[in-house]
Amino acid sequence: MRRIDYYFRETASGLRRNGVVAFAAMSTAFIALFLFGLALLIARQFDLVITAWTGNVEVAVYLDDPASPETVTRVQEILVDLPVVTDVEYWDKDRTCEQYAELFANQRAFLENVNCRQTIPTSLRVSLSDPARFDTITAALTCQDQRQEDGSVDQVCATPGILRVSDFSELLDRLVVITRVLSIGVLSIALIMLVSAIFLVANTLRMGLFARRKEIGIMRLVGATNWRIRVPFLIEGLVETVLGAAAAVFTLFLVKVVFIDRLRENVQFFPLIKNSDVLAVAPWIVLAAAVVAVIAGTIGMRRFLDV
Amino acid sequence: MIKLDHVSKTYRNGVTALEDVSLEIEKGEFVFVVGPSGSGKSTMIRLLLKEEEATLGTVHVAGKNLANVSSWKVPHLRRNVGTVFQDYKLLQDKTAFENVGFALEVIGKAKQVIDQRVPEILEYVGLGDKLNAFPDELSGGEQQRVSIARACVNRPLVLLADEPTGNLDPTTSVDIMRLLDKVNRIGTTVVMATHDQAIVDAMRKRVIELEKGRVIRDQSRGVYA
Repeated sequence: MRRIDYYFRETASGLRRNGVVAFAAMSTAFIALFLFGLALLIARQFDLVITAWTGNVEVAVYLDDPASPETVTRVQEILVDLPVVTDVEYWDKDRTCEQYAELFANQRAFLENVNCRQTIPTSLRVSLSDPARFDTITAALTCQDQRQEDGSVDQVCATPGILRVSDFSELLDRLVVITRVLSIGVLSIALIMLVSAIFLVANTLRMGLFARRKEIGIMRLVGATNWRIRVPFLIEGLVETVLGAAAAVFTLFLVKVVFIDRLRENVQFFPLIKNSDVLAVAPWIVLAAAVVAVIAGTIGMRRFLDV
Repeated sequence: MIKLDHVSKTYRNGVTALEDVSLEIEKGEFVFVVGPSGSGKSTMIRLLLKEEEATLGTVHVAGKNLANVSSWKVPHLRRNVGTVFQDYKLLQDKTAFENVGFALEVIGKAKQVIDQRVPEILEYVGLGDKLNAFPDELSGGEQQRVSIARACVNRPLVLLADEPTGNLDPTTSVDIMRLLDKVNRIGTTVVMATHDQAIVDAMRKRVIELEKGRVIRDQSRGVYA
């Protein structure tokens, strides 16, 4: 008990003694941890968006018109055998034209001039467990990219009976790249900030050590162990970064309430991060704070405390 | 209690502070180490505290070969060795009681032990009525008494004193020497580095004289020169 009491008093007096510098270290820790949390949340947000968009996407395998029942069964069997495929559904002429009518309900010209049953081919709608593995479908059907005149890319397949396969891999790739670039960008800023937080906290500790060098000299002379001398400084660093972490979590909630919740009223077509997402990020911020404190302690007290 | 066997110390900058020094100090002895500035007195004290390590030879303190004491055990070694310096090394923002208590506190002694031992030792060094005085309210001699109390409060086997009377007038110095003698009489081995000739001559204790890092005289009941 006595020991805990001692550490507590030493830490408190240390924080009081270099209050301004401690505050600077805390602020840097706060900014760094805030950016770190922000990076995690941005990544999470994009994850939500991509899942929402790609979760509903199906691959449409259009069949030569008119499709014989044998062709349908044959292609269906190829697709069902793939591990990535979760579901295959055959859209016959009725189903296809029903959707066509729905899709162009506002454009009478299309409905009147196009004979759906003649022009739109039937298709197999394939759901994938992982939309990013779209290429396994095209490989199984031995399809190849073919650039169209309008610049879009279609898949032309060697498997008989298949007209073409709708291609959304390009869109997916782009989304994945955007997410990656954004989260890597924010994460590297956060990382740089974390490193500077480490050095600022280390510097505070060092200044504390310097201010108390006489005291520390005496402690060493009378036989205080290194840990006895170090622990108050380590706790001091930890208090600074953890306070920064608390402020960072609080600010992230604030950002979520002020910006995201306001967006929620206008944006309905994709999901937004919730309080629980911010909460899930909190432990990582605290962990980062602890890591910053420990590394800062190691750097700040190296050499200074050699026997 | 203390044994130096062919000890040499060369600092990194090439200065040789001690050269082939061999000596033995028994438990309960009172020894003066004399010699001009730069003769190696302070280096010897630093070696005994393992603040420095001998370049050659072995140093034994309290039965331990210091070369074999790992760095994390050095604090425990130092608990057996009290130290007193010319500049007292007291903390200005702590009272006499707190300064002495600090030495016990930082080695993890319980509050009851501190409350019991600190007034005892301050009484012993003649400051029973100044427990709550701050260093700047005390005379030089009194500050040195606090420092001696701090060095002795943990009942060390050895007391190392580096010029303890260096900042004091002759009368006060005599008082401090009486106190060190008193500490010695209860069984503490005292090693005192000094160049205060009057004191050495008056005490008639063992004198080890260093010059340019070598022992040039080791005499029991000796005088300064």
